[in-house]
Amino acid sequence: MIFENRLCKKIIKTNRPRRRLTFDVIDSNPHGRIFSMRPTHTGTMSKLKNKKRNLEENEDEQLPIFDKDGGKDGPHLDDGDEDQGDLSESEESVFSGLEESGSDSDDEEEEEEDEEDGSEEKSSDVEEDKTDRQLSAKEVIKPQTDGQNSKEKKKKKKAAGKEGGEESVASDRDSGLQISSQVDEYEHDTSDEEDIRNTVGNIPMEWYKDYPHIGYDLDGKKLFKPIRNKDELDEFLDKMENPDYWRTVQDKMTGADIRLSDEQVDLVHRLQQGKFGDVNFNEYEPAIDFFSNEVMIHPVTNRPQDKRSFIPSLIEKEKVGKLVHAIKMGWIKPRRPKETTPQYYDLWAKEDPNSILGRHKMHVPAPKMKLPGHEESYNPPPEYLMSEEERLAWEQQDPEDRKLSFLPQKFACLRAVPAYSRFIHERFERCLDLYLCPRQRKMRVNVNPEDLIPKLPKPKDLQPFPTTQSLVYRGHSSLVRSISVSPSGQWLVSGSDDCTVRFWEVSTARCLKTVEVGGAVKGVAWNPNPSICLVAVSYDDTVVLLNPGLGDRLVCTASDQLISSYEEPEEVKDQLVQWAVAEGEGHEQGHRLILKHPKAVRQVTWHGKGDYLACVMPDNGSSLQVVIHQVSKRRTQNPFRKNKGLVQCVSFHPIRPYFFVATQRYVRVYNLIKQELTKKLMANCKWISSMAIHPGGDNVICGSYDCRLAWFDLDLSTKPYKVLRHHKKALRSVAYHRHYPLFASGSDDGSVIVCHGMVYNDLLQNPLIVPVKVLKGHTITHDLGVLDVTFHPTQPWVFSSGSDGTVRLFT
Amino acid sequence: MSQVQARFFTENTKYLIDDVPFSIPAASEVVDLSGVINKLLEAKNDGHKHVEFDFLVRGQFLRTSLANHMETENISTEEVVEIEYVEKFTAPQPEECIMHDDWISSVEADSEWILTGSFDKTARIWSMEGKAVMTVAGHTDVVKDVAWVKRDGLSSLLLTASLDQTIMLWEWNSERNKVKARHCCRGHAGSVDTVAVDPTRTKFCSGSWDKMLKIWSTPLMTFSGHNEAVSSVLWMDAEELCSASWDHTIRLWDAETGGQKNTITGSKVFSCISYSPLCRRLASGSTDRHVRLWDPRSKDGYLVLLSLTSHNGWVTAVRWSPSHEHQLVSGSLDNVVKLWDTRSCKAPLYDLAAHEDKVMCVDWTENGLILSGGADNKLYTYRYSACVSDAGA
Repeated sequence: MIFENRLCKKIIKTNRPRRRLTFDVIDSNPHGRIFSMRPTHTGTMSKLKNKKRNLEENEDEQLPIFDKDGGKDGPHLDDGDEDQGDLSESEESVFSGLEESGSDSDDEEEEEEDEEDGSEEKSSDVEEDKTDRQLSAKEVIKPQTDGQNSKEKKKKKKAAGKEGGEESVASDRDSGLQISSQVDEYEHDTSDEEDIRNTVGNIPMEWYKDYPHIGYDLDGKKLFKPIRNKDELDEFLDKMENPDYWRTVQDKMTGADIRLSDEQVDLVHRLQQGKFGDVNFNEYEPAIDFFSNEVMIHPVTNRPQDKRSFIPSLIEKEKVGKLVHAIKMGWIKPRRPKETTPQYYDLWAKEDPNSILGRHKMHVPAPKMKLPGHEESYNPPPEYLMSEEERLAWEQQDPEDRKLSFLPQKFACLRAVPAYSRFIHERFERCLDLYLCPRQRKMRVNVNPEDLIPKLPKPKDLQPFPTTQSLVYRGHSSLVRSISVSPSGQWLVSGSDDCTVRFWEVSTARCLKTVEVGGAVKGVAWNPNPSICLVAVSYDDTVVLLNPGLGDRLVCTASDQLISSYEEPEEVKDQLVQWAVAEGEGHEQGHRLILKHPKAVRQVTWHGKGDYLACVMPDNGSSLQVVIHQVSKRRTQNPFRKNKGLVQCVSFHPIRPYFFVATQRYVRVYNLIKQELTKKLMANCKWISSMAIHPGGDNVICGSYDCRLAWFDLDLSTKPYKVLRHHKKALRSVAYHRHYPLFASGSDDGSVIVCHGMVYNDLLQNPLIVPVKVLKGHTITHDLGVLDVTFHPTQPWVFSSGSDGTVRLFT
Repeated sequence: MSQVQARFFTENTKYLIDDVPFSIPAASEVVDLSGVINKLLEAKNDGHKHVEFDFLVRGQFLRTSLANHMETENISTEEVVEIEYVEKFTAPQPEECIMHDDWISSVEADSEWILTGSFDKTARIWSMEGKAVMTVAGHTDVVKDVAWVKRDGLSSLLLTASLDQTIMLWEWNSERNKVKARHCCRGHAGSVDTVAVDPTRTKFCSGSWDKMLKIWSTPLMTFSGHNEAVSSVLWMDAEELCSASWDHTIRLWDAETGGQKNTITGSKVFSCISYSPLCRRLASGSTDRHVRLWDPRSKDGYLVLLSLTSHNGWVTAVRWSPSHEHQLVSGSLDNVVKLWDTRSCKAPLYDLAAHEDKVMCVDWTENGLILSGGADNKLYTYRYSACVSDAGA
């Protein structure tokens, strides 16, 4: 039990809560057993001590531990001495195990805690709190244990002093350097027992209260209590008289009074103040940072280097090999060299150039002053000096016109040069220049002119269209105002100011027929119906229907019959115009019907069916500007009651019952059946001269006297879809081709411009208009060029009539 | 390159020289080469008279210097150049100028007589000397085309087609100088612009503005297929008919069945065609400046074999030489008649610029007479003999 107690002490030093537990164990043990065992143990102990001499130093301090083992194994030891060798081995192992310290004790602690858990199963929740408390208790207790330690150290040193002499000699002799180093190690060991006068151990001394002795000494003899017969009075007297009373304490183990020395009192004071027990201990010693970044010549630890630090590592070799391979293969690239140039944050990077600060970037340096030349020298070469005439001329010039602002002068030496009187003045002027001169960088937009032109197909790809003049139809002696082609395309009719109408064979330019009429012919129109051979000719106030007798004989005779078969209706209404049948010489020439109008007729145009004929009599003051004749019934009607402006030309819609009337500024589209205005097209020009309707009926072109050609898409807008200004002079006539996507315009500048005007069936696609050819041929006479243009009905040919009395065919 | 190795050869045995390569200056032209050949011939036979020669390099007439020609034709100057020489075609000699009262619309000549149609509504028969023999009057409108049908002793049959939509068949007795209308063929609904007699001389075909072709025999056959007026018609052989039209096509017809055999599509109105049985090529004039040669047998109807471009106006008339496979004559609105050799397509052999107005018609007789009539009321005849002596070259 004593050994166990010692062990406990040892453990107590390291761990406080453990002590408690050990006490429990001790308490559970039967007390009396200690005494029976003890003699045996002491015998072993002496043997061990002898043996120890051969072993390491300071083992005497460890003896109690061995004893503990011995105590545990006590029953075995009784068997005999053979086990001594074994014992020594076990000693070693246990010793080393203890030496390695904390871990074992921790294990035990855990076990003990488990036991506690078992006992306190019900309050498992409290467990944590409890351990916490224990921990805090540890901390509180620690300084005390330290104090104990120091106490014990001193005692132990005394004990060591007894045996140390012989032992150190022996150990020096036996185990040399290594052992001596261990001497230092165990010197601090405090696991000794200071008070071996009473061997009862750490038990409550109350147990001996009723006995005359208070324990046993090392020899097993009773230690008797000192005779204490002091009563209260003695005590008081002692207290009063004995100056050392305050420092006298009773040793509970022996019952003797001990007078504490000064050092001990001091120590108690220090401990009470919470200071270190050792006076010399400086708790604020400057710390030495052993593991600093500085490389020392001596290692911090004396640990020998590992074997692996001498042997090349295979794993590392493998890793390095992989890296080398990757570098060779170019998978790993060397780090880009750091740019040595310093990087600065561009404060102005996101500067808005249009802001006020931005214009500083647009700084234009002031113009430099001219460097002084020879003429400014004080001693210029003679050629820079002005002669007398030059000087006079210079003086007579205005200061602004002078080439030099001063007179070059020659001085003998620099010293002779006088002060420059105009210096301040010139400085001022220079400053004025710099201040007043506006220096600004102009932002010029660089636009390639080609990019502004819309992308149009090349004319080459839009063939066929007329390109060259092929035939000239000569015969008229005055300007040819109007032309028209027969629906078959074999004949051409032209009306001229020489009061003739000529019929031409298209393919040979042969004039086959000349019909004289009574005035300058203003308009001709071939009946578009192929089964009727009639040509309407307007001159003065008359419209004549001619039968040229060209083409199919049957058609010609049928046309004649159509006219002659007319029967006068019974009730004769007053007609706007006078219908008359031509007779005599006129009939032989081809005249069939003569319509006398109240005013001069400017234009005639047929409806597509060939029965209706519209005539235009421009008159600003009258509502009778347009009349529509029906040939088969010889009726005339005036479709408009109001005058809406000077009518320039009219046209029938090719398919639907619409009627187009062009006044100076507008084109009005009337529905003939509903008799209402359906659309009014704004031409955006000053004076419309001519108009043509696309054979599809949805597009209209208008030529105007202000050189424009306006293309209207009736589905799109009432404003022009496109305005072409290719002519240099007034447009006189425009025309669409019946089949090919072509239209042409004739102008006073003598040229005919042919354009490709493709109208798509797709309503979403706008017409494609490409000017393809300028045809020239007509000579300009009396400031008039081309007066009329018309297309051949089947071929991509265009006819133009001009003021030079010719009709030209371009193919 | 200053010298070229050349070997001269000819098929005319009269002018044979030794088959030896010569080194001649590359800059030499036709005149120089001709001098060389003449020198050689003089050295060979003493009685040689100077003859002008023309030279063909790989089937193309030499017109510039030899070096230029070889460069443009991509002929290597390293090798010996084979140069064929032929006797130079002498220029057509103008013979007669026959005045008419009006524009001459058509002309056809046989070995003795010339038949012309005119815009004065008559057709006229002239002797080769230019003497007016007969005036055939009967049409009420412009005579557009004329044709000899056959000669039977002193009496001849001839055809006139007119703008008055009729074709008239006349019988003319040359001895009594009487003309008698045998038939008046009515049926066309437009002006009859062209008429052609078949090789058997038993029927004829007419084309009209009413887009129809008619073969006048028993029974009357009408071929419809053109979309526009028919401008020219001819017989290729007894069974095959060829017609040109304003609808930009040339169509080949089977005269027996009336079916269409082939269609050649151009890009312009065809105004005239001519066929040469010697080279089996069709020449066409159209409303542009080109004379085009076609292969009528070719199924690919768009391929122009050769385009002869030198005119400045519409080509109104073309006619192959009846005796020479390479030569044809063309008349144009630019007042010029041009004589072409297909071996020299860049430039014509001769320009016959006698007319003062549009040339309307040309003809070429078997005995080497070229005729052209125009809007200046004149009919010119030219004697062209070189082709006869050079036959087979």
